Amino acid sequence: MAEDLAGGAVVSTDPDGPDGVRMTWNAWPRSKVESSKCVVPVAASIAPIRSSPSLVVLPYHPLRCKPPCAAVLNPFARVDYGAKIWICPFCFSRNHFPPHYAGISEHNYPAELYPQCTTIEYAPPPLDAAAPPPPPVFLFVIDTCLIEEELGYVKSAMRRAIGLLPDHALVGLITFGTQVHLHELGFADITKIYVFRGTKEITKEQILDQLGLSSAGVRHGGVAGAPGYPRGPQANALHPSTSVNRFLLPASDCDYTLNALLDELQLDRWPVETSSRALRCTGVALTVAAGLLGACVAGTGARIIALVGGPCTVGPGMIVSKDLSEPVRSHKDLDKDAAPHFHKAVKFYDNLAKQLVNQGHVLDLFASALDQVGVAEMKVAVERTGGLVVLAESFGHPVFKDSFKRIFEDGEQSLGLSFKSGKKWEVTFVFLPLGSGTLEINCSKDIKIQGIIGPCTSLDKKGALCADTIVGQGNTISWKMCGLDRTTCLTVFFDISPSERSGQQGIPNPQLYIQFLTNYQNPEGQMRLRVATIMRKWVDGSNTEELVEGFDQETAAVVLARYVSLKMEMEEEFDATRWLDRSLIRLCSRFGDYRKDDSASFTLHPNFSILPQFMFNLRRSQFVQVFNNSPDETAYFRMLLNRESITNSVVMIQPSLLSYSFNSPPTPALLDVSSIALDRILLLDAYFSIVIFHGTTIAQWRNLGYQNQPEHQAFAQLLQAPQDDAQMIIKERFPVPRLVICDQHGSQARFLLAKLNPSATYNSAHEVVPGSDIIFTDDVSLQVFCEHLQRLAVQS
Amino acid sequence: MESASPFASGPPRQRPAMVSNPTSVVQTPLIGRSMAPSSSVPLPSPFGSALPGFSRPAATPLASRPPPPGAIPQGPIAGNGPRIPGFTAPRTLPPPSVQPAPPSAASSSIRPPTPYASATQDSGLQSYPGSPPSGASVATLPMPFVGPPASQQFGRPPTSQPLFSGPPRSQPPFAGAQYLQRPMAGSTNSQLPLAGPPTSQSPFLGPPTSQPPFTGPPTSQPPRPNTPQPPFAGLPTPQQFGGPSTQTLTGPPISQFVGPPTSQPYAGRSSSPSQMATPSSQPFSMPPTVGTSFGSPVWPSQPGQMVPSLPGNVQAPPRMFGMPPGMPGQPIPPVLPAMGHSALAGPQVSTQSKIDPNQIPRPLPNSSITIFETRQGNQANVPPVCIQSIFVVKDNGNCSPRLMRCTLNQIPCTGDLLSTSSMPFALMVQPLALPHPSDDPIPVVDFGESGPVRCSRCKSYINAFMRFIDHGRTFVCNLCGFTNETPRDYLCNLGPDGRRRDADERLELCKGTVEFVATREYMVRDPMPAVFFFLIDVSLNAIQTGATAAACSAISQSLADLPDGPRTMVGIATFDCSIHFYNLRRASQQPLMLIVPDIHDVYTPLHTDVVVPLTECRQSVEQLLESIPSLFENNKVSDSAFGAAIKAGFLALKPTGGKLLVFQSVLPSVGIGSLSSREAEGRTNASAGDKEAHKLLQPADKTLKTMAIEFAEYQVCVDIFITAQTFVDIASISVVPGTTGGQVYYYYPFSALSDPGKLYNDLRWNLSRPQGFEAVMRVRCSQGLQVQEYAGSFCKRIPTDIDLPAIDCEKTIMVTFKHDDKFQENSECAFQCALLYTTVYGERRIRVINLSLPCTSMLTNLFRTADLDTQFACILKQAASSIPVNSLSQVREQITNLCINILHAYRKFCATVSSSGQLILPEALKLLPLYTLALVKSIGLRNDGRFDDRSYWASHVMSLSISLAVPLVYPRMISIHDLTAKENDGSLSSSNIPLSSEHINDDGIYLLENGEDCLIYVGNMVNPDTLQKLFGVTSVDGLPTQLVLQQFDNDLSEKLSDVMNEIRQQRCSYLRLRLCKKGDPSGMHFMSYMIEDKTAGGLSYVEFLVHVHRQIQTKMA
Repeated sequence: MAEDLAGGAVVSTDPDGPDGVRMTWNAWPRSKVESSKCVVPVAASIAPIRSSPSLVVLPYHPLRCKPPCAAVLNPFARVDYGAKIWICPFCFSRNHFPPHYAGISEHNYPAELYPQCTTIEYAPPPLDAAAPPPPPVFLFVIDTCLIEEELGYVKSAMRRAIGLLPDHALVGLITFGTQVHLHELGFADITKIYVFRGTKEITKEQILDQLGLSSAGVRHGGVAGAPGYPRGPQANALHPSTSVNRFLLPASDCDYTLNALLDELQLDRWPVETSSRALRCTGVALTVAAGLLGACVAGTGARIIALVGGPCTVGPGMIVSKDLSEPVRSHKDLDKDAAPHFHKAVKFYDNLAKQLVNQGHVLDLFASALDQVGVAEMKVAVERTGGLVVLAESFGHPVFKDSFKRIFEDGEQSLGLSFKSGKKWEVTFVFLPLGSGTLEINCSKDIKIQGIIGPCTSLDKKGALCADTIVGQGNTISWKMCGLDRTTCLTVFFDISPSERSGQQGIPNPQLYIQFLTNYQNPEGQMRLRVATIMRKWVDGSNTEELVEGFDQETAAVVLARYVSLKMEMEEEFDATRWLDRSLIRLCSRFGDYRKDDSASFTLHPNFSILPQFMFNLRRSQFVQVFNNSPDETAYFRMLLNRESITNSVVMIQPSLLSYSFNSPPTPALLDVSSIALDRILLLDAYFSIVIFHGTTIAQWRNLGYQNQPEHQAFAQLLQAPQDDAQMIIKERFPVPRLVICDQHGSQARFLLAKLNPSATYNSAHEVVPGSDIIFTDDVSLQVFCEHLQRLAVQS
Repeated sequence: MESASPFASGPPRQRPAMVSNPTSVVQTPLIGRSMAPSSSVPLPSPFGSALPGFSRPAATPLASRPPPPGAIPQGPIAGNGPRIPGFTAPRTLPPPSVQPAPPSAASSSIRPPTPYASATQDSGLQSYPGSPPSGASVATLPMPFVGPPASQQFGRPPTSQPLFSGPPRSQPPFAGAQYLQRPMAGSTNSQLPLAGPPTSQSPFLGPPTSQPPFTGPPTSQPPRPNTPQPPFAGLPTPQQFGGPSTQTLTGPPISQFVGPPTSQPYAGRSSSPSQMATPSSQPFSMPPTVGTSFGSPVWPSQPGQMVPSLPGNVQAPPRMFGMPPGMPGQPIPPVLPAMGHSALAGPQVSTQSKIDPNQIPRPLPNSSITIFETRQGNQANVPPVCIQSIFVVKDNGNCSPRLMRCTLNQIPCTGDLLSTSSMPFALMVQPLALPHPSDDPIPVVDFGESGPVRCSRCKSYINAFMRFIDHGRTFVCNLCGFTNETPRDYLCNLGPDGRRRDADERLELCKGTVEFVATREYMVRDPMPAVFFFLIDVSLNAIQTGATAAACSAISQSLADLPDGPRTMVGIATFDCSIHFYNLRRASQQPLMLIVPDIHDVYTPLHTDVVVPLTECRQSVEQLLESIPSLFENNKVSDSAFGAAIKAGFLALKPTGGKLLVFQSVLPSVGIGSLSSREAEGRTNASAGDKEAHKLLQPADKTLKTMAIEFAEYQVCVDIFITAQTFVDIASISVVPGTTGGQVYYYYPFSALSDPGKLYNDLRWNLSRPQGFEAVMRVRCSQGLQVQEYAGSFCKRIPTDIDLPAIDCEKTIMVTFKHDDKFQENSECAFQCALLYTTVYGERRIRVINLSLPCTSMLTNLFRTADLDTQFACILKQAASSIPVNSLSQVREQITNLCINILHAYRKFCATVSSSGQLILPEALKLLPLYTLALVKSIGLRNDGRFDDRSYWASHVMSLSISLAVPLVYPRMISIHDLTAKENDGSLSSSNIPLSSEHINDDGIYLLENGEDCLIYVGNMVNPDTLQKLFGVTSVDGLPTQLVLQQFDNDLSEKLSDVMNEIRQQRCSYLRLRLCKKGDPSGMHFMSYMIEDKTAGGLSYVEFLVHVHRQIQTKMA
């Protein structure tokens, strides 16, 4: 239990603890008023199926409390071994153990009661042991409105991917440009393509009808079994009739066909007028893909992997007209509501998301273009389905190439390796489609759930636990996660609203409990139930110290970032910077140690000490300062922010900086312009990009080739060290970050400078240390920021 | 000049070489054709041997000519046809004058030479153009020559010839043309002289009607009261047929008309001989000659009126039928016709109690060739009576009657006069009609940049009838009367005769038909390429019945016949409940199938490569066609998205325009324009019954019509080949071809065994016949008339013009007129048809067809110059257009009434006969009752027909040419069991049998054809040997139901092949072959063509005449 309370700071090796749960406050104020005084919302970041070496898997069904509570038996339950009764910590109901628990005693109790097993997994025997698990399904949706070179990159990426697919995985292919081409891979005699027009919105029913997949099956009924359609290996009840054989084939059966198709795949042939954009019907293509999967493999894990090379310019989901004189919408346009297509497109993708969620399918988006492709509009579909998103500037860029490869590589490995690794921090990307998961949450009385930010969708299953106010996906106690992997992270927002009855109870229970139940299908196709039960304590609101003790500033920074991002999207005219500033000031006023109106007396508890710095960087980050980015980039950053772990998210907010020099081992450096030195190499990890920055002297040496001379081995090693570290980072990260290698004063150096604290600007040039650098900005530096904060916090 | 001019007219005629499917081959080796003139092989027909030098050489070069003819090197090219070097050959033919009387013709008989290969009888092997044994070889040797159907008949010697001892003079200068038929039943010599009316002597006599002798109104002739009217026994008052006029005849009238029309000698009707009781009566049925008998049934008409006379006595004045007004029994001496000749008739007539069916008017054979000058003596010449006769046109001011002819060859001065006559007044325009190879070519005139000279007010084109005045400085438009200034560079002085001095050099000033090269002004874009898009039904039904395979094979074979060159593009798509396009231009060997599944809102799946140049992609096209049947062999989709498919095809063609050829097998059941099985609904809903039945002949809704109009706007023409087993609602479907200048082909019930041959040949002819694209046509006429309506296959968006996305040599457009003013007697009324079109080789042309006809205020003139075939075609089309609107009984009644009204008008105003007891038929219209009866009993107007058959009939008729109109309703029947027994010359015309079951014997085999279908009827007592020879079976029971005619190695079979080929050439159609056995339903079907029989639904011919007569009498009273 101590571990649980410890939070991230203590157990440095696993900041998330064994349960994969981190909270902004580990001690909760008991009243609503108190909690609002805490400023930072009460929230938990959870990783529902994070892999954990110590995880115990039980081969039987869990014991559940009587409805409506239905909480699962856990170590926090009080057990009366004599009476063979357990008392649910959530509802305090008394439950009898069933007969097969008859042997239970104080010395012999099941694993789910072990104190260290607060997180445990049930793997009940499948109902139908004979049925093989459904194969994973990959439906590729490829843009052909590209330039020749880009298409070449796409083809080679695809070929590599096909080679990596597990043999039994089902594969389908859709290409699109002005029209959508659905390739019927199962037709042996001739290359057969269904063509859908890009301009017309088309319903799922129409698609099915037109493909002959409708339940009536009238139109193409009976094609099954015809010689033209070789019978696939799967004799699987999940796949209605023969439709699967026509469009989705096991990789082993169709890899020749697919490669042949790729060889012949041409750019879209429809003419593009000068002064026009190519007509690209991304929206219809995705509709068709969703419709096809819905008909063929509804309910089993399937991914639509979309490779998009430009904006949708026609039909539903269009984000910009084909007329080149109309620029793609910017944040400014969105702010002024001057983006004519935006809301329509968002609505379209919202509906698409609903359909996909319904079917349990995932949309992965790989967008590669110099201009925007509409990630901002598609965000909803990707995020709700738990899809992956990668934004690159070219299909030839490593950000795309390596990320794309990663899905399949790791996927394949994970098939064999998934639980083998004992390494705690191994990042196992289990991108193979898992059966979509559902998450349910149980909490103690007086706690309500406002909602979740992250890659999931509300199932609209209302319950007593739902709060009145909603954050993100709310108004439910159950969520669906179509694309769930081991790193997926969700942020749950709680509301504290003690009922009057509970207040009247004489002895308030000092503990609060929350239980997360995650149902999912593991890569082997087995259904699992992960149960994580955590216990935190209530504190009296007036007891600031206890609250301070339980504060997790990293989590708080990330939660605030997520929360403020959400508010920026949802609320018009929302001034994020101001809101953050005020929150920070209020927080400091409440939890700082100072004398009124004496800013010099201001100090903060260590648990709060870095928060101002986080806030400072958050204010300057791409999440808040959106105007430096396109809406697509912002959407992309936010999606990743919402789904990554706290540790990774902190890096997004406040990049880490390592300094390499001859004199010392690599050391963390201040994220400050003053860290730049002529003879240093800096390694900046800003999560989305990794910058290796050579000081001028180092760059000169390198240019002179000293590293190649045997007597300068050390220099070579110095040069190599940050590279190696960068590769380490890159290897573990998805999407693959952009690696920028630059020299001081080089043009690429901006990637570093933009992240540094502008402690030295052209306004403060006199203070500059020789060899250091200045930043051309009017932004305030951290120091100024803190000064103001102190002043304002102590104001009465 | 003419001789100098090449056969310009030739090019257009490519012949449909009908290649039979291998399976159904009628073996007709090419050999016959290719035989060297000197061929040592003794030709069976004297003919052939007689004229070897003549006919052969001509034939050969032609034959070798590639189908798409090249242009004629010299001279203007007429028509859209390409120039064919080979073509020149014909030119070299000896002019008619050369006419060899073949010395060798040892035989006394004279046969008309058959200059054009078409002829038939050569060595028995005659091949129908298409029918060479192997399809492949055919392609290169199609018989191009065979000229227009009409031309084919050349060569047919009249059967009678043998009898005639060949007086040398009989030989027409023009090969064969001259043959007058002189049937002489064993007539005495003395009669011969009579036989030839003076007019007849001229070799090129016009059609009989033109003959002066007859022209005279009957009135001049005193009726002969005394003559008994034999024909109808006891007619109280025989009626006279006014027709024949007779002035000239005064002399020996007898000879002239006379003859028992039956002229036995002729057509070997067996019965006739017996009839000739008195030699005198028969004397000659002389045909004043109509020039030619087209292979067609014997047109007895020539002899002038026919009197149906009665047996024996007959002499009744020609044309008069005495009808017993009611009481046959009464012996009343027939009143003789007014004509002088009637007197002759009279004597012999004895009273007869009934009409002798053998004496009533029927078409008579006529196989001679005439030369027709379009104007003579500065007056319009009256075209050959029978368009099916063989004639050669010399264009000297008016157009060839093949291209445009009028129902009346003199124009009534007033509308009242016209309505009094009751006759229809319309122009039949067949602007690209196939010429006879010897016809004057249509010259091409290039006015350079400025374009053709036109009237500045009415925009009519310069023509021979525009009058230049004021020293040539101005000219007066013959259509609107406006005086125009002559363009400076077109100035020319006038000669003493008031004509421009250069009138004879400038073809537009001396020819009736001219083609102008269109300038930029006439183009909205570059001339379109020749684009052919094939759309094939691959639904369950189509696959299983073999229709898909047949279509693919037909298309594949036909590719060779498409115009050569980079401008020819093709595309292919298939459809069932979705539409499958194919990308034909791909690196890989496999074509790419692109499926358009949205059949409610279709689109094309590719921007390019759906339609590809044939030269580049021929292989992939062929390969695809080969694989389509197997690709879909397991297709289980039974729905057909026809409407969506044609829409998709249209979209593919939209940028260029072109022809969309659709092969459809089932009722369109899904997607745009889907249809319901209305027929079945109609049947179950019997109460709605007959009254509403005609609604089923109307399109189900407007969807297809709307689509078709859009197609037409983008110059897309749709042809539909329906290979069905069930109802497909042709009434709705045919709207599309009907609006876009296309046509419907109907194969019901489709048989994979016997129909592919026809399908292929139809397709091939469709693709290779002379045709034009993106055409616009307008007919202008002199002030005083105005165009009332156009009828045919086209789209009309503005009142004055019709749009023809495609026009071919067979499409005929009917133009009706109404008076809005009076004409002066002796003035001329001009018609000008201008057709702006693009040839298959991408040249933009304006074909201007001029016809100037005299005006008259005399009703008799109207009747005298009435053109029966044209009038009948007009009536037929009007009937076809009214069957969807009115009930069948109403339509039949209308037609019958029209016939009655016309005859009544004639009877009342032109025939001066005192007695009402005679039925008098105008000479020119003497067959009108027969045709009317045939029409009433035709498929389209029969009560028992299927709706699809009727709809098909109606749509077929709407663009039917004049020459095919009559055969469609009055088919030709010949006996084939005795083919070898007949003379060797084997001319078809000689052996026509009246369509009456009396002439069908149980031991006979008969062939009946109407230009579409060919029925072979086998009696139940046929000699097994004959069966063996013809069909390779020994008993009637052994005959297969689906007939594939094979040629066996015996005379009879060869002969049959020859006959078949001849018919096919003549009709430009392969004909659907069907075997009918006595006692079978198929036998009943055959019998339904026996028009002269009394049937449940209709009168017999004789009864009909009686009916008509009675009605006239009632009106007279």
